[in-house]
Amino acid sequence: MKVLIVEDESELAKDITQYLLAEHYVCEVAGSYREAEQKIALYDYDCILLDLMLPDGNGLQLLEQLQQQNKQEGIIIISAKNATDDKIKGLQNGADDYLTKPFHHAELSARIHSVIRRKQFAHTNIIENHELTIDLLAKTVKVHDQLVPLTKKEFALLLFFISNKNRVISKGALAEHLSGDMADMFDNHDFIYAHVKNLKKKLQQAGCDNYLTTMYGTGYKWEN
Amino acid sequence: MGKLIKLLDKPLRTFTLYALLILAGSIPVYYAVVDYIWLKELDEHNTIVKEKIKESLATADIPAEEMALLLQHWNTILPGTSILASHQLKGRPDSIYTIDRLNRHQEKEEMDRFRGLSAIIAIDGKNYKLQIETNVEEASETFAAISIVTLSMFSLLAIGFILLNRRLSKNVWKPFHATLQKLSAFDLGKPNAIHFAPTNIEEFDVLNGSLQKLLDNNIATYKQQQTFIENAAHELQTPLAVLQSKLELLLQQDSATKATTDIIAAIELPLQRMSRINKNLLLLARIDNHQFPETENVDLAFIVGETLEMLDDYIDSKEIRLQQSLSTLVVKANKTLIEILVSNLVINAVTHNYRQGAIDIHLSGQTLTVSNSGKKELHSTRVFERFAIASTETASSGLGLSIVKEICQRYHWRLGYRFSHDKHQFSIGF
Repeated sequence: MKVLIVEDESELAKDITQYLLAEHYVCEVAGSYREAEQKIALYDYDCILLDLMLPDGNGLQLLEQLQQQNKQEGIIIISAKNATDDKIKGLQNGADDYLTKPFHHAELSARIHSVIRRKQFAHTNIIENHELTIDLLAKTVKVHDQLVPLTKKEFALLLFFISNKNRVISKGALAEHLSGDMADMFDNHDFIYAHVKNLKKKLQQAGCDNYLTTMYGTGYKWEN
Repeated sequence: MGKLIKLLDKPLRTFTLYALLILAGSIPVYYAVVDYIWLKELDEHNTIVKEKIKESLATADIPAEEMALLLQHWNTILPGTSILASHQLKGRPDSIYTIDRLNRHQEKEEMDRFRGLSAIIAIDGKNYKLQIETNVEEASETFAAISIVTLSMFSLLAIGFILLNRRLSKNVWKPFHATLQKLSAFDLGKPNAIHFAPTNIEEFDVLNGSLQKLLDNNIATYKQQQTFIENAAHELQTPLAVLQSKLELLLQQDSATKATTDIIAAIELPLQRMSRINKNLLLLARIDNHQFPETENVDLAFIVGETLEMLDDYIDSKEIRLQQSLSTLVVKANKTLIEILVSNLVINAVTHNYRQGAIDIHLSGQTLTVSNSGKKELHSTRVFERFAIASTETASSGLGLSIVKEICQRYHWRLGYRFSHDKHQFSIGF
């Protein structure tokens, strides 16, 4: 999988690259509008992360170019501007998702997963992971073909873990994934603990191995 | 200060007083002039009568014996004149006098004033004293008449002043009131600046000009400040993002010990708070800058339901009892702003609550009320100020309620705070 990161803040681009390494994605970085324009014209990517505010141009124009060239890349806008009109404009011009800075890498990773899945495997909505089978459309989880009854939130958490395999996910990132922007406004995310505990219990009862480990009470890790 | 008077009433009082003084002062002057003319005319009249009598008697050629009889009849019949034999010398000059006499011809006895001329005339070599008296208006009557006329004139003048003043204040002050109205309707946050129409009155134009300058400067400064806040908050977003990104990568290090992850967790909290404050500042600046212009019909009950669903984990984990009664209310506003408004109110009710506290949400008629358990009443106006509740409660950004206030102000909704029965109660009248 090839991901293009269009981001002028080089440190951020570097970090995203490093985080996505665990997914075995090939990441390329474009630090300016011009550079991004060239790369898009020359290569095909599976997913493009696009910062709207570039020193030499507006990311929205890149979107228009991509549409004109009829490119099939999944596009996620990452912007420091949480402006609704930018979001709407971006999504109207062919972007698949919109993420406001600052964001958790885990959230970005989950969004990239979802975008790539939608674009590439349009006909298969099934994720398999060892004995786990996740049906994204029906929103069901099976262990050894046995249905595991999960709540909406437990399902979302499981999918989030699977999208961030082998990496530590902080409680904050999990809370934000469940409660959206509102999680920002709270300091205490202890409720995550209860959801994760329930998820673990249900999976184990269905005969699933335990892949989830707690990291010193600060976060969780799904280890395959 | 006392009672306030209108500006135009002030010169009116002075003018009226001045008119009263002048008119009152004119009464004796008028009297003196009228009396002088009166007397002068009567003196002339008396002199003419004297000359006529003198001439008539001199040319009539009446015998001396008849003369005595004639004069006797003359003196009894003719009023106002008398001719009596006199021993005075003919050379004596005529004398003029004024005398008051009792009037016996009227039912009510009163004094009449007369102007008299006394002269020595010679008829057939004999000296006679001729006295002519003509009734003249009494001094007091003249005085009273002049006073009455003057005072009625003054009344007319005063009434005229008042009526004219009213009309003037309506017309002349029209531009002033227009300016005043514009000023009181002025809102620094509104994008449309004030424009004063030319008034063709110099003072008002000068006033309007100065006001225009003052307002323009203020608007410019305000806009500059808003842009500054927006830019500053915006510029902070990227370093914040980098910091958070680095922390997350640090967490991924295999060598990370419990001590390290504890520190990372401890850094994450203030970082999150900073990011929260920054986000809210940015949001405030953008509301102030009149972004979010599009409006649609928003079902408030639906938004409240959605918000509660998003926050249920936080409400549950604090074991807060939630009571809600929601009737349908549709408001025309920006959906994003409504979502922010509702979530800020509910988040505020959750964060400033204690374990096993309560939250009541009521939506009935045109009013949304969110109340939560609390211990101490907050300052009813300061509660909506930015960073007013600089609390030790780290979860608070200090801006949530300011944002609520800002949104309410934009749509002219009534925002209220009350504390009763150990509950903070925030209500919005749509």
